[in-house]
Amino acid sequence: MENKNAHIQFLESGPLAPFKKWAAKWSLWPCHFITSCCGVELAHAFACPRSPQAPITLNLGISRQSNFIIIEGTITRKMARALQFVYGQMPDPKFVNVIGACGERGGIFWNSYNITHPSDIVPVDFFVPGCPITPEALLRGVRALQDKIMGIDRKTIEFKTVELPFVELEERKVPTSPKLYAPTPAIKVDVKQEVDWDFGKELADTIKKELNGLYKSVTITGKDRIAIRTTPVNLLEVARKLRDQMQLDHVKSVNVIEVPHERKFIVEYTASSYSVEALMPVLVTIFTEIGMKDPKIPSLTSVWESANYCEREMHEFFGVWFEGNTWMGKKFLLAPDTPDLPLRKEFKIPEERYVFEKDVTPEFMVPIEPPKDLYVPIWEEFIKDAYESDEIVVPIGPHHAGSGHLRVTFRIKGDVIVDAIPEPGFVHRSMEKLAENKLYIQNIPLFERLAINDPVNMNLGYVRTIEKALGIEVPERAQYLRTIMAELSRIEAFYYDSGIFSLFFGHTTGFMYCMAIREMIIEALMRITGSRSGPSFVVPGGIRRDIPDDVLKMIDNITFAVHKRMKKFEDIFVTNPVTVARAKGVGVLTKEDAIRCGMVGPFLRASGVNHDIRKVSPYEVYDKLDWEVTTGDDGDCLGRFLGRLEEIKESVKIIKQAGDAVRGIKGPILSDAILGEYKEAASDIKGSFFRVFGNLVLPRGEWTCLTEAGRGTLLFSLISDGESNVPYRVRVISPCWMNLRGFMEAVKGERYADFWAVYGSFGYFPPEADR
Amino acid sequence: MKKVGTPEYNLQDKLKYHLSALSTAAKQVALPLNITTHYPRERRRWPDCFRGYILFDPERCISCFQCSFICPANAIWMKEAPSNRYYPTLDYGKCIFCHFCVDSCPGGALKPTKIHDVAYRTMEEMLTLTEEMVEPPEIIREDKVFVDYVIDTEDLSLKRTKGRDNLIVEIAPSQGVPMVSQCVDRASCIACKVCEKVCESGAVSSIKDEERLIVKMAIDAEKCTGCGLCVKECSMQILRLVRK
Amino acid sequence: MIDISGLVNLMIAEQVNIPLLYPIIYNFVLKIPVIGNIVAFLLGIPIIRYLIAFILWKPIFILLIIPGFGTLGTMLLVLPWLERKLVGRMQWRVGPREIAPRTRGSIQLLADSLRFLCQEVIIHKEAHKPYFLQFPFLYFLPVLLPLLFINAGTIGRTLVPIESEYALQLMIALISLMPVFILGVGWSSNNRFAFIGTVREAFMYFAYEIPFIIAILAMVILYGTSNTVGVVSAQTSWWNWGIILNPLAALTFFVAAVMATARLPFEIPEADQELAFGPFIEYSGIAFGLAYVMAYEKMYVLSAIMTMLFLGAGSGPAIPYVTPLLGDLYYAILFVIKTLIILLVMVNLRGVYPRYRLDQGLRIGWGAMLTLGLIAVAWSIVLGVVL
Repeated sequence: MENKNAHIQFLESGPLAPFKKWAAKWSLWPCHFITSCCGVELAHAFACPRSPQAPITLNLGISRQSNFIIIEGTITRKMARALQFVYGQMPDPKFVNVIGACGERGGIFWNSYNITHPSDIVPVDFFVPGCPITPEALLRGVRALQDKIMGIDRKTIEFKTVELPFVELEERKVPTSPKLYAPTPAIKVDVKQEVDWDFGKELADTIKKELNGLYKSVTITGKDRIAIRTTPVNLLEVARKLRDQMQLDHVKSVNVIEVPHERKFIVEYTASSYSVEALMPVLVTIFTEIGMKDPKIPSLTSVWESANYCEREMHEFFGVWFEGNTWMGKKFLLAPDTPDLPLRKEFKIPEERYVFEKDVTPEFMVPIEPPKDLYVPIWEEFIKDAYESDEIVVPIGPHHAGSGHLRVTFRIKGDVIVDAIPEPGFVHRSMEKLAENKLYIQNIPLFERLAINDPVNMNLGYVRTIEKALGIEVPERAQYLRTIMAELSRIEAFYYDSGIFSLFFGHTTGFMYCMAIREMIIEALMRITGSRSGPSFVVPGGIRRDIPDDVLKMIDNITFAVHKRMKKFEDIFVTNPVTVARAKGVGVLTKEDAIRCGMVGPFLRASGVNHDIRKVSPYEVYDKLDWEVTTGDDGDCLGRFLGRLEEIKESVKIIKQAGDAVRGIKGPILSDAILGEYKEAASDIKGSFFRVFGNLVLPRGEWTCLTEAGRGTLLFSLISDGESNVPYRVRVISPCWMNLRGFMEAVKGERYADFWAVYGSFGYFPPEADR
Repeated sequence: MKKVGTPEYNLQDKLKYHLSALSTAAKQVALPLNITTHYPRERRRWPDCFRGYILFDPERCISCFQCSFICPANAIWMKEAPSNRYYPTLDYGKCIFCHFCVDSCPGGALKPTKIHDVAYRTMEEMLTLTEEMVEPPEIIREDKVFVDYVIDTEDLSLKRTKGRDNLIVEIAPSQGVPMVSQCVDRASCIACKVCEKVCESGAVSSIKDEERLIVKMAIDAEKCTGCGLCVKECSMQILRLVRK
Repeated sequence: MIDISGLVNLMIAEQVNIPLLYPIIYNFVLKIPVIGNIVAFLLGIPIIRYLIAFILWKPIFILLIIPGFGTLGTMLLVLPWLERKLVGRMQWRVGPREIAPRTRGSIQLLADSLRFLCQEVIIHKEAHKPYFLQFPFLYFLPVLLPLLFINAGTIGRTLVPIESEYALQLMIALISLMPVFILGVGWSSNNRFAFIGTVREAFMYFAYEIPFIIAILAMVILYGTSNTVGVVSAQTSWWNWGIILNPLAALTFFVAAVMATARLPFEIPEADQELAFGPFIEYSGIAFGLAYVMAYEKMYVLSAIMTMLFLGAGSGPAIPYVTPLLGDLYYAILFVIKTLIILLVMVNLRGVYPRYRLDQGLRIGWGAMLTLGLIAVAWSIVLGVVL
C-alpha cells in the first residue's frame, strides 16, 4: 500500500503549494461511492438540515472528477474490489475518510466472514466512530481533514487520564463466555402445538387429502402455521399440488438447516397465498431431509418463480444443489474469495473476547492481499451472444451515481433493456451467520442494521418472533407506543425512498424536501430513544423505557409539520408533469407477475393485491385503530410511488389515533413475564438489562413471524434447539430481497433511462436485501 | 381498502402543474422554509437521552462483566485495572452506541454523554482505556450557538440560543436492584473454588470443615456486590442471585 | 465631467501620431462620460494612449469587456455561485457559505477551478489520446465566436463587434458546430457511458436544432432583417420587443436553449444518475474544468442571443443622472442584466424539474416545439402583413 501521506506531500510541493492547499481544502468533491447504511446519514449531512456546501459539495457520480472518498461503513469483499478500482481512478491528490464502525474495526459485524477493513485497501485519513454516525460527526471528519490538508495536526478528542486506585488482590479467574451452545442439539422444525385454530385443522385435512401418499406428516406448528414433511422425490409433486389445488401461489422463504451431527440438511420452503383471502396469513412449510453427502434436491423454481433467488442463496451458503435452477455452481451474493459454504456449522467465525490483552491483535477475517481484479460474474457466451445480436452490454454499479450498492448488467438493444442480470451482495454482511453466534438479545441491533432507515420495523419483526416463541403478552401501553414508533419508522423509510426516487430523476429539490421531513421524524425517534437511526428500542416484552408525555405531544405536532411540508413536496415533485411523464406506465408489473415473483408490501399492493400483514394477521394495536390498506391497479412506477404516498397519509392517521389513545393508558411498558423478579424495571429497563434479557432461551422448534415493514413483509424464522441461549439458525427474508425478483422483471423491456425510475419506485435498499 | 389511481394529464392539467411547480419554487426562493443549521458554528441540541460517548465511574463499578457480555459488537473488553478488578475498556472502532451496556450496568457506573462528533487519525487511537473514560474528554468545539428544533402544530422552526450546550448531562445513575449471591444447595457443592476465584470483592471464602474433612464455600452477604459471576460460573449450578 | 468635444480636441491636438485614424477612432470609441476625465488623461500619456484607444474601440471593447469575454469570465465565476445560492434557497438550505463567510461563499468557484487546475489529468489507456486532449480546447472556438455578432446596444447606439447582413445565419452556423465537438469528446473517451451520452447528444441535437432555427427564422421574418443592428433597431421600447410580438417564438427559443445547454429538465446527454456526466465521464482535472465551464459559456451565448432577439438587447428606460453618466456603457449593462435574468431562470430550472427521458425529449423537440415554432413563423408572417 502506498504511503498514507503521499497526497499531502503532493500538495506541499512546488511554488504554488499554498494555493494548492487552499483549493484542496475548500473544494472536496466526494465521489458517489455509497457502501453501506451510513449512506443514509451521509444523505442527511448533505441535505438541507445541514447543507455543508462549502467544505464539501454534493456527491459526484464519477471518480475522475472527485478527490475525496467517504467510505460509509461496511466494505465487503466484493466491494473492496470496487473500492480499490474507484480509488485508482481518482486523480491525485485524493483523500479518504471512513465513517461508521463497520469500516473501522468492523462494528457489530467485526467477525463476519465477508467484511474487510478499508484501511487495508486504501490509505485512510480519518476514522469517524458511530453506528450509524451522526451527520455532525461526518462533518467533523471533514473539518479534521481540512485541517490536515492545511498542515494542522491535532486530535479532535483529548482524553484525560486518571490514576485508578490500587488494591492488591489475589489472581482472579476470568469468567467464561455467557453463551451456551448445545453440542448435539435435537433440531425439529415441526414441533406440534395445541392451538385453538379450527380453520387450520380443516386445512390440514384438506392438505392430507390432496397430497394423498406424497407426504410423511402434516403438523400444525402454531396458529397459522402448518408444516408438511415429505421426501425429496415427492417434493416437486407436493409443491405443484399445493400451488394448483390449494392456491399457494408464492414462496416466502427457502431455508436450509444444517444438522452436522446427524449428517443431514433440512430443506424447507415456506409457501403462502395471495389469491385466497383466508390463506393469506397461513404459512405452509414443506420440508424434507437430505443427506450431507452430495446434497441434491429438485428445484421448485418451475413451480414457484419466487423461490429462485432464495435457492441461489442457499446453494451458496450450504452447497445444497437445487437441480433445475440455472444458477447452480455460480456466485450470486458472495465474492470469489469469500470462504466457501460459510453458513455450515463447521465454518467457525472468530470468538468474542471479554478480557483485554494488550498485544493481542484481534483476529479479523480480512484478505491479506488486497484484491487485484474487478470481479464481474458475466460469462463469455453472454457477451458474445449480445455482440452477435447487435446489443451492447452495460454494467451499472456498484460505483455509479444511480445504482447504490448493486450491480446490474444490462443487455441493451437500441435504448431498450433486453435482459438484466442482478448481482447483489455488495453489502452482504452475513447477518444469518453472525446471529447464530450472538445471544438472542444481542441480535436486536444486528437486525436493525438491515435497514437503518426503517429501524423500528426491523426491530419489531425480530422481537415479535421471540415473543411468539416465548408466548409473551406485551402490555397495552407498550403496544401503542410500538405502533407509533413503527409507523414513524415507516414514514422515515418512505421519505428516504422517495428522496432517492427524486434524485434518480435528477430532482435534487425533492430529495432535499424528503430529507427535511425525515429529519423531523428522526428528531422524534431521537427524543424517544436517544439514537438517530439505530434505536434498538423494542425489546422482548415491551420497549426499553417509557415515552414521556411531552414527547408524545411533539409526535402529535410532527404530524402537522409533516403534512405541511409534504404538501410542498407534492407540489414540486409528485404532481410535476415531468415526474408523471417519467413514471407513468413505466416498469409495469401485472398482478400475475407480481404474485409469481413473490412481491411483498406496497409494491404488491400497487399491482392490485390487497395484502397487508397489518390487516391479514394484525399485531400490536393495528386492529384497534381505524385505517385502510392502499392498493392500486396500475402496477407502474407512478402507481407504486403514489400508493406509498397514500400509505404515509394512513400512517399519519394511525400515529394520531394511537397518540391520542396512549395518553389515556397508564401502566408498565414491559411485560411481567419477561421481567421475572426485576419488577422495578417495568417502566425503565436501566440497570437490569442483562439480568432480564441476558439468558433468554427459546423453546424447541421453528418460530416464524411476519411483520409489515416499510417496504413490505419481513419474515423472521428462528430455529431453536431449546437448550442454547443463541439461536440455532436464523432466517431473515427482508422485503427488498423478495422484491428484487420483481424489480428485475419490471426492468425488462423498458428503456435504459427507466431503470432508475423502476429502481426508485421499488425503494430498493441494498443493505436490506443483502443482509 | 383504498384504491389509488395514477393521474392522466391533459394539456390544461399539464400547464396547471407546471405553474404550480414553478410557483412553489419561486415562493421558496422568496420566503424559504429554511431548516439549515450551520454545523461547526452552530450545534443542534440533542435531547438529554442522546446516546453518545460513554463515561465510567470506577466507584460504582462492581466488575460484573455484564457490559462486556451484553455488547453486541464486542467493543467492551474488561481490562485488569490496578485494583485487580476488571474495568471496561471501550473500542470506539467497534462501538455501535446501542447503550445496552449502560442499561445493563447494575451499579450505574457507565454514564452516557452527548459527545458524538469526533474523528480519529488512526484506528489505534480509537481504543479508549479505562483511565481515559473517567473524566469527560475535551473535543474541538467551534460552536457558539445551539439550535433547538421547535415543532408546534404549524411547522418546524429553529430556535437559536447563544451559548454552548453542555454535552455532559447529569443523569441520576440507576440504583439498580441490590442483589446477593446465595447457595441454594450446599450439599451438592464440590468445592471447586471457582466462585472464590471469580469473585472480585472477596465475598466468597472457603471454610475447612476439619471434622468431615471437606471444604465448604461461604458467601459473605455484606461484601457481596451481587455481580452474579459466581452464579454464572458455578459448575454445579447451585448458586442463585436473590434480593438483598 | 468633461465635454466630449474636449476629448475630440485633445485627440486632434495629438494627431501627430496617427492623424488619419482619429476620425475613425472617434466614431468607434465608446463614450462613457463618467470616466471621460480619466480617459482623457490616459490618452495624453504616450504609448498607453494606444492601449486605451484600442480597448475603448467599440468592437474591441464589446468583444473583450462587455458583454464579451470579460463579462463572460465574471459570469462564469458568479453564475454557478448564484445558481447554488438560489437553488439552495429553493431547497430550504443556504448554498455555499463556509468558504469566506463574509462574502457568503462567493469565491467557491475560484477554489473549485484552482483545484481542477492543480489536479492530475488522467488519460486512460483506451482513450484516443490526441483527440481526447484536443477536443475540450477546440470546443472553445465555436462557443465564443457567436459573441462577434452580438449587438448589445439599442437603436442609435450600436454596440456590435462585426456588423453583417448575415449575422444571425452565421451565429446559427457557429452554434450548430458545438455538438460536433461533444461527439468528438465522447467518441475519443472510449467508454460505454460516454458512448451512450454521445448518442443521446446527437439525437437531441437534431431535436432542438430545428425548432431553434425556426424560432430565429420567425424573428428574421418579423424584423425583416438578419442583421443584428436591424434586429435591435426594430425593438425600440418594451411593447415592440420580440417577446411581446411573438411570445411563441420566444418560448420555443428558450426551451431549445435549455435543451442545447443540456440543463434540466433536458439534461439528457449528461444525466448524472444514469450516465455519470455522459461524454465527460473520463475527463479529470483541468480538462473537466473546461468542459464544466463550457456548458456555462454556451448558456451565456444563447442567453445573449435571446436577449438580443426577444428582449430588445440594450434598450430600456433611461434613468436620469445615471444614463448620461454611463453613456454607451449603460445600454451594455442593461443588456448584461437582461442576459443574467434569463440565465438565472435557465439554471434554476434545476430546482424545479426532474429529467425527461430521451424519447420524451425527442418527442418534445420534434413534436410540440416544432409545432410551436411553425405557428410562430405563421404568426410572424401574419404580423408582417398586418403591420
